[in-house]
Amino acid sequence: MSYYLTTLQNITNWIRKTASENPVYFPEKFGHASYRFAEVKADSDIQFEHYTPTVLPPVKLLIPAREELLSFKKHADGKTEINPTLDESFRVIAGVRPCDLKAIFLIDLFLKDGVPDAHYLARRENTALVGWACTAPCDSRVFCAAVDSLHHTEGADIFITPLKHGDLLVEVKTELGEKLAAGTDWQTCDDGPARKVGTVADMPEPFGRTFPVTAQDIYKNVAEKWKSPVWDKHVERCFSCGSCNLVCPTCYCFDVSDDMNLDVASGNRTRTWDGCMLPHFAVVGGGHNFRPDPAARQRHRVKRKFEYLTEKFGHGAVCVGCGRCGRQCTAKIDIYDIVADLINEGDQ
Amino acid sequence: MKTVPSQYDQIARETFLPQIGKIVEIADMTAKDRYFRIELEKPLGHGPGQFVMVSVLGLGEAPISISNGPSEDNILEMVIRRIGRLTQAIHELKVGDQLGIRGPYGSGFNLDDFYSHDVLFVAGGLGLVPLRSLITPIIKERGRFGNITLISGCRNPAEELYRDQLETWTTDAGMDVIRLVDGTENMPWEFGTGLVTDPIPKLEMDPKKTMAALCGPPVMYKFVIKALNVRGMNFDQIFVDLERRMKCGVGKCGHCQINKIYCCQDGPVFRFSDLSGIPEALQ
Amino acid sequence: MKPKVAFFDFASCEGCQLAILNCEDILLDILNLVNLVEFREALSEKAPRYDIAFVEGSIHRDEDIERLQNLRSRTTVLVALGACACNGNVQARSNFVAPAVNYEVIYGEEARNRVQVDADHWSLWSHTRVRPLDAVVKVDAYLRGCPVVPAEFLHLVKSVLHGTTPFFPPDAVCVECKKNGNECVLERGETCMGPITWGGCNSICVNNGYVCDGCRGTLPHANIDSHITLMREHNIKDEDIRNRYRLFLGAEPIGRGV
Repeated sequence: MSYYLTTLQNITNWIRKTASENPVYFPEKFGHASYRFAEVKADSDIQFEHYTPTVLPPVKLLIPAREELLSFKKHADGKTEINPTLDESFRVIAGVRPCDLKAIFLIDLFLKDGVPDAHYLARRENTALVGWACTAPCDSRVFCAAVDSLHHTEGADIFITPLKHGDLLVEVKTELGEKLAAGTDWQTCDDGPARKVGTVADMPEPFGRTFPVTAQDIYKNVAEKWKSPVWDKHVERCFSCGSCNLVCPTCYCFDVSDDMNLDVASGNRTRTWDGCMLPHFAVVGGGHNFRPDPAARQRHRVKRKFEYLTEKFGHGAVCVGCGRCGRQCTAKIDIYDIVADLINEGDQ
Repeated sequence: MKTVPSQYDQIARETFLPQIGKIVEIADMTAKDRYFRIELEKPLGHGPGQFVMVSVLGLGEAPISISNGPSEDNILEMVIRRIGRLTQAIHELKVGDQLGIRGPYGSGFNLDDFYSHDVLFVAGGLGLVPLRSLITPIIKERGRFGNITLISGCRNPAEELYRDQLETWTTDAGMDVIRLVDGTENMPWEFGTGLVTDPIPKLEMDPKKTMAALCGPPVMYKFVIKALNVRGMNFDQIFVDLERRMKCGVGKCGHCQINKIYCCQDGPVFRFSDLSGIPEALQ
Repeated sequence: MKPKVAFFDFASCEGCQLAILNCEDILLDILNLVNLVEFREALSEKAPRYDIAFVEGSIHRDEDIERLQNLRSRTTVLVALGACACNGNVQARSNFVAPAVNYEVIYGEEARNRVQVDADHWSLWSHTRVRPLDAVVKVDAYLRGCPVVPAEFLHLVKSVLHGTTPFFPPDAVCVECKKNGNECVLERGETCMGPITWGGCNSICVNNGYVCDGCRGTLPHANIDSHITLMREHNIKDEDIRNRYRLFLGAEPIGRGV
């Protein structure tokens, strides 16, 4: 790990230079008031400060909406050839906020656990992450501090923190980060950790929305609730459209389907994003639906974020508080409100 | 800058790539259930209660129970019900055609749990198929078990599976086989009618030394477990084989999650006492 | 034997058949796999029986009903092709307006008055209620949309060739809209039928800067009450909500509560 001091202008130039050599993805403004991670072009606007969470989180660059797992070909002699499809191209994702970094860190854990997910990991290991510390809540919906993701830096190859007097503190955290930083004229900084504590730009307190309990205690409040009126309260307006799953940086469920080409001899198998809020998610071959009610599906979604995966992996809440699901829900359902209600409801 | 993690090609082959199996025998068991005998490239090495992901390349993949007992050879046996897109396509296949096979997956049954005990099997409909993968090794070592009873129920006489085996299990393997249908629907039937729960109160059994293995539709479990519990069996003496939607078989796709557990890896066979904090299990 | 495929149309613009003819890159490959016996847009050959009949258009008149029932009896698989056949489409708006009023809007009061007393024109007034195909006969598969989506057409053809049931996931347009990374229409201050509408269109309208008008019909689990609330929150007047629902869905029960 090494520390450097530099200026915003230098970092911007460095991102442009890196983008001329490798694909670099950076938040770009689009539409009416939205952001998305897009490949940096010569004329891209590189600015870190004005930002609301991108429509899709950066982790989705590593888990594409539709991804080929394998291709096959039946030969005339009756033999079938099957090959896995792996994307091993290199990319940099820059301007990643701590909440999204934590999400990628968690997805790494989930997809390395047990049988590793080769398709994700091949892409992930060929990806460099450049993080950027938040010094102000990016909008009124976030609750990153309440779920302990505001200060997450693990998983970043380079992490940049704005200091009080306008300079930037650059932490180069990995070998890959060293390679990316090679040739820059950033000023070496010997007291990096101390500066990070003492001179980080002022941050408001509280930072974003908060819960009346600590991040550690959310688990208990959710885990204790199986039968609760809260599960019914928030689904009255639910469309079961799955938007909350699809924009979530820690959702990774997928469906798998095959396609045969019109030559009737070759084809492929792809996976696509799926979501536990979609009505068909738990339907088996015979037609039985194991979670037919939106309330049961929502309970599953919330418990997966705050109880099931928390218990299994021991890294706290699996919700990173980015607020995307609530922001994009057309029925105005917000996971923050559900959890807050569960906490406020007290012991059942 | 590009680093090629070549290990992922190997891992991807081991995870999502099926091996090709050749269909060597097909037989109709009922109007909608068909028996398939598959010859694989290499032995499957499965245990009782495990499943495989079966695919018709270009059409899709689904989890299917293995119906033969553990064996050293390259043979995989399955009974597949024509029920959805993929199984429709499988039913169109002929001897000599190919199927993609991944697995075996899941925890399955452990024979050690059953040795020196009386064994009670309760099968509803297609549930007899996975149970057969446990019945086969148990009757192979018949002397190591006490009384063996099978209650097998299905909708009507035409839907009964493994009719020949049900006969030989009775005559040659010393099993008590209770064959039931919900209704005869005017078909000839020399056995009983009723639900699989009906015989339980009158069963000659020592509840303290019996282990039970259940497989059937979701609605069956609650009632069978209750009836066994009334007879004095504890939840740790009962194993259930659960069905869920599965897309990967390796705990990633999320479809088979039941509360905090994954049916594909933690199950599909569970000791019922292990499901006490899992309210979604029997829903 | 290659399956015998035929195309028929009722009240429609025949745009769905054109949409299929426009798939030039795959059309010849498909024609290698099927035997196309009836296609007014492309050829004219008749056959007594079909394996797959694609039927475009909505049902208006008694003679339409007879013709459709006859078709049904001659085909193994009947596919409703496009929004008119699946859910009535825009012409179902006329279900809410008397034919004479419509006539007046288009041809003027004088023309209306003239034909109203002319017995030769009385058949015009029997055009009473626009219905989708499944209001009259059993439909085996639906290719939704105005027009249909070539990828779904292809999936259906392949399924029939393989002897399997085609599967179109009952997911809202929002699913594909999110996969495409679009900014939500609501974020732009507009309203959208996406949350209650059958997806499968790859959210093509939103991708191109428009909103979803619901041409693919409402989902089986559509939460209509919630959608009405959403529209009202955007200060859409009830009359406008009704009109919005009736644009493509006049033949569906949607919006009767508004």
